[in-house]
Amino acid sequence: MGVGALYVHVPFCARKCRYCDFASKATRTDDPCMDGYLKERIAELDRCQRLGMLGSCKTAYLGGGTPTFLGATRLGTLVSRIRMTCPNLTEFSCEANPDSLTDEVIEALCGAGVTRVSIGVQSLDDEELRALGRIHTANQARTRVQAAIAAGLDVSVDLMCAIPKQTDESWRQTIHEVIALSVGHVSVYPLAIEEGTPFGKRYGDETPPWNDEDVQAQRMECAERLLTGAGLHRYEVASYAREGKQCAHNIAYWTGIPYLGLGPGAASMLDASCYDSARRLYDWLPPRPHEASRMRFSTLDREVEFLSAREAWAEDLMLGMRLTRGVEEERLDAVPDTRDDLLARGLVERDGDRLIPTHDGWLLGNELFAALWDLHQQS
Amino acid sequence: MNTQTDTSLIRNFSIVAHIDHGKSTISDRILELTHTVEQRDLYKQMLDSMDIEQERGITIKSNAVRVLYDADDGKQYQFNLIDTPGHVDFTYEVSRSLAACEGAVLVVDATQGVEAQTVSNALLAMNADLEIVPAINKIDLPSAEPEQVRAEIEEVLAIPADDAVCVSGKTGEGIHDLLESIVYLIPPPTGDASAPLKALILDSYFDAYRGVVAMVRIFDGSIKAGDRLLMMAEEQPFLAEEVGVKRPLEQPLPQLGMGEVGYLVTGLKDPALVKTGDTITGETRRCAEPCPGYHEAKPMVFTGIFPVDNKYYENLRDALEKLKVNDPSLTWTPETSVALGFGFRVGFLGLLHMEVVKERLEREFDLDLIATSPSVDYHVYLTDGQMIEVTSPQDLPVPEKIERIEEPYLKATVIVPPDYVGAVMQLLVDHRGTSTDMVYLSEKSVEMHFDIPLAELILDFFDQLKSRTKGYASLDYEFSGYAPSPLVKLDILLAGEEVDALSFIVHRDKAYQLGRGLCDKLKEIIPRQQFEVPIQGAIGNKIISRSTVKAHRKDVLAKCYGGDITRKRKLLEKQKEGKKRMKSIGRVDVPQEAFLAVLKVDDE
Repeated sequence: MGVGALYVHVPFCARKCRYCDFASKATRTDDPCMDGYLKERIAELDRCQRLGMLGSCKTAYLGGGTPTFLGATRLGTLVSRIRMTCPNLTEFSCEANPDSLTDEVIEALCGAGVTRVSIGVQSLDDEELRALGRIHTANQARTRVQAAIAAGLDVSVDLMCAIPKQTDESWRQTIHEVIALSVGHVSVYPLAIEEGTPFGKRYGDETPPWNDEDVQAQRMECAERLLTGAGLHRYEVASYAREGKQCAHNIAYWTGIPYLGLGPGAASMLDASCYDSARRLYDWLPPRPHEASRMRFSTLDREVEFLSAREAWAEDLMLGMRLTRGVEEERLDAVPDTRDDLLARGLVERDGDRLIPTHDGWLLGNELFAALWDLHQQS
Repeated sequence: MNTQTDTSLIRNFSIVAHIDHGKSTISDRILELTHTVEQRDLYKQMLDSMDIEQERGITIKSNAVRVLYDADDGKQYQFNLIDTPGHVDFTYEVSRSLAACEGAVLVVDATQGVEAQTVSNALLAMNADLEIVPAINKIDLPSAEPEQVRAEIEEVLAIPADDAVCVSGKTGEGIHDLLESIVYLIPPPTGDASAPLKALILDSYFDAYRGVVAMVRIFDGSIKAGDRLLMMAEEQPFLAEEVGVKRPLEQPLPQLGMGEVGYLVTGLKDPALVKTGDTITGETRRCAEPCPGYHEAKPMVFTGIFPVDNKYYENLRDALEKLKVNDPSLTWTPETSVALGFGFRVGFLGLLHMEVVKERLEREFDLDLIATSPSVDYHVYLTDGQMIEVTSPQDLPVPEKIERIEEPYLKATVIVPPDYVGAVMQLLVDHRGTSTDMVYLSEKSVEMHFDIPLAELILDFFDQLKSRTKGYASLDYEFSGYAPSPLVKLDILLAGEEVDALSFIVHRDKAYQLGRGLCDKLKEIIPRQQFEVPIQGAIGNKIISRSTVKAHRKDVLAKCYGGDITRKRKLLEKQKEGKKRMKSIGRVDVPQEAFLAVLKVDDE
C-alpha cells in the first residue's frame, strides 16, 4: 500500500508577508532556481512511482510559498507529472495568490488537472492588505476568485482575522463579500505573531490590541455565524465548506491517512511499509525501530519522529478533535477518566455515538488537544 | 616548635565598609602585596567561593586569612585579616568577628563619603574597643573628594582622620602606607599564654570528611592538636584534631598560640554544637569567664517554602539540612497549607538571608519552590492571658480570641542628601515609620533616625527607598523591641475558595489599600483560565476588594502548515511545561510568583 495523500511544497514567493514564518524565498519570476526545483521534484516523483508509493494516492496539494508564482508553464508541467504519477486522484488542490493567478495560470491548472484552488485573499480591504505586506489589492482578489470559479474550479478562500487596521465592521464586510462571490470553501485564521517575522520583531512578547485574544475569539465567532448562515458549515477548526466541498486533503491530515511531502519544507506521515520505501527516496532517513507504528519527518530540518502504536492512537484522538464531527466515543472507552474530565470541563459533548468538540472545545482547542495527547504517556 | 609567636608582631584586624566601597578589592591587594596570593590565582579563588556571594558582591561567611608582612622596620609581622559579612542581616556575626580583632580598617569611598553602614560599622568597631584606621578608597577616580571625606569622617564619626590613608584598591596606590599604618596604629594582642585556654568562635563551616571546622581567636592559652577541649555554652567536650591557619588555603600548624587566629578541626559532626560567639576552653583546665557577647542567632523573617510538586517534600527537607550544616542560623518547622500541601516555615536572619537561601535551594538542589510572603514573629496575646508567637498568617487565631498583637520594631537610620529628605519622609509615612530625629552630617548628607515595624521593612521598603532617592540613600537598622499594633489578617479568595498561602497580616488602616493592590496584582499574574476567576480580598467574612481574571477566550492553533503535526505537538508540550511550573489550586492554575505578589504591589 502507498500513501493516501501527496503534498508538494513550492517555496517561492514574490515577497514575504510580514506575518509569514514559513519556509519560502522571495525571488524574481525568471529565477532559474525554479527550473532546478522543478527538475528535482520530477525526479522524486519518478522515483516514488517506481517505488509504488503513489498508486493509491487520492488527494494532492500544491502548497507554498506561492505555487502560482512558478508561472503557467512550470506549474502545468508539475501538475501533469503529479497526475501521471498519481492516477487515482479525486482531488487536486493548488494554493494561489491573486497577483499570480493569471488567466494563463488558471488555464494551465485546469488543463493539467487541478480541481481546486485555494486563494490567499486574506482580506477585502486594501488598507488591511497593505498592513499585512500583501502585494495584491482587494479588487484583484475579487476578479481572480470570479475567474477561477468561471473556469470551473472549486474555489477556497483564505481569510485572516485579528490583523492590523481590521474592525468588526470591516471583517463582517469581507465575509459578506466572500459569501457573495459564491465560493464553496473558506478558511479563517487569526493572525499568529511568530518569532523571527517582521511582526514578531516589532512586537516581541507583547500583544498589539488588534491581535488581542478576545478580538481573535470574537472574529472567529463572527465568521462562524455569518458563514454558517450562508450555508458554509465549519467542519474543522479553521475550515468552512458547502455540502460536498470539504477539502479531502485537509481531512486526511486529521484522520490518520498516510501522506508524503515533497519539496524543501514538507512534512510526511507514513506507516511502516511506506517509510521503508521513503528511505530509498531520502537517504538521510534512519531505519525505523521495530515497534514504531507511525513515522513523521520534515524535509526542512530532517527531523524524524517514530511514534508507537499508543502514541499514534493518542495523536489520532487529538487530531480527530480538530474536526467538528469529533471521534467515535468508543475510541475513548479505555480512558474513561479523561473522557469524563473533558465532558465535565465542557470541552466535548456527546452527539449520538460520537464525542464532538463544544464551542469551548473549538476555541480552547489546545486544552482539549493537550489532554488527549497526554494519553500517550499512560500505559 | 611549641613556641609562642612574639605577640608584638601580631596584628588582628577587620576591614569594614559600606557595601561597594571597595572592601574586597583592598583585601585582594593586601593578599597580593604580601605575596600571599599571586594575581593570577585571585580569580580562581574567587571562583571557588560561593556563587551567590560572588554575584551579589557580598560576604555571607566570616573568614580569617593569615598574611606575613615584611614591614619597613625590617621585621616580619603576622597579620590576621578577618573578613566579616557585609550586610545588616548579619550584625551579630559581624560583632563576633570584630571581637576577635584589636583594630579595624574603615574603608570609605572617596566619591560617596560616609554612608549608613559606614556609621553602623564604625560604631560596632568602636563598641568593640577597636583601634580604627580610616582608609579613603577609590582616589584614582576623577570624582574623588578625599579632603571632603576626611572632614566627614571626623565630623560624623568623631574619628581623627589626620592619619587616614588615601588608597586605590584598583591601582594599588597607598596600600603599602595602609599596611604600615596597621603596624603602627593597631595594637598587638595581649593575654596570658600560660592561662587556661580561652578562644572565641568567629564562625564555622562543615567539612564532609573532618566534621565541623571552627575559626577561632585565642585570647589566653594555646591549642595543640590532640588537646581535649570544651565548648562552653554547649558544655560539649571534643578533641582538637588539627589546628592551622588559612593562607588562604589551609596550612596545618603544631599549635595556635595566644593572640593568634586560625582554624580548629573539632571532629564534631553536628554543626549545631559549634556556635558562633561561643568560647572554647580546656576540658579540665577551664577559664573563669567565657568571652562576652554570646547569644543565639534569632531569626527575624519567616516565609513558607513549599515544593511545587509535593513529592519533593523530602528532598526539600534534605536540602535544608544540608544548608544548615554551614548556616546554623537557618531554622524551620514543618508547615501544612491547604493550597500548597506540605512544606516548611523557615526563619531567616533577614531578607537578604532569605533570598540567598531560596536561591541556593533552587540552584544547588534543583528544586522548584514556592515561597510565600515574608512574615515576622508576631506576639499574640490571647484573651485568656496566654501569649503565642505567630510567624505564619494562617496560624493567627480568630479575632475574638485575641486581646492584642505586638509586632517587632526596628530603630533605623537612613543617610541621604538633603534634597531627598521629603521623599524619605513620605516613604516613612507610607510604611508606618515615625521619625525620631534628624541630624545634618554635612551640607551633603542628613542622617534620619526613625522607628519602623520590621513587617514594613521586609516588603519592598529598601527598593523603594533606593528608587525614590535615585540610589543615594543608605539604610541601616537594628531590632528595638515589640510594640502593639492594630493588625488584621487579610485573606485572598480565588474562585470563591480561600487560599491560606496568600493570607497576609497587615495594619488595619492599610488593609483596604493592600487588598485592592493585591487583587489587581494577582489579576496580572494569574493567567486566563478556561473559566472566569474572581479574586477577592477579605477580612473575616467581609469582602473588601475584588478583581477578575477573564476567562480564556481563544487558545487554539488554527493554521496547519502542510500537515506539520510535529510542530503543533511541540507547541502543546511547551504550553504544558509552563503549566507544570504552576500550582493547581482547586481549578485555578497559579504561577509561583503569585505567592509573593504582596512584594510587588505598587504604592498608590
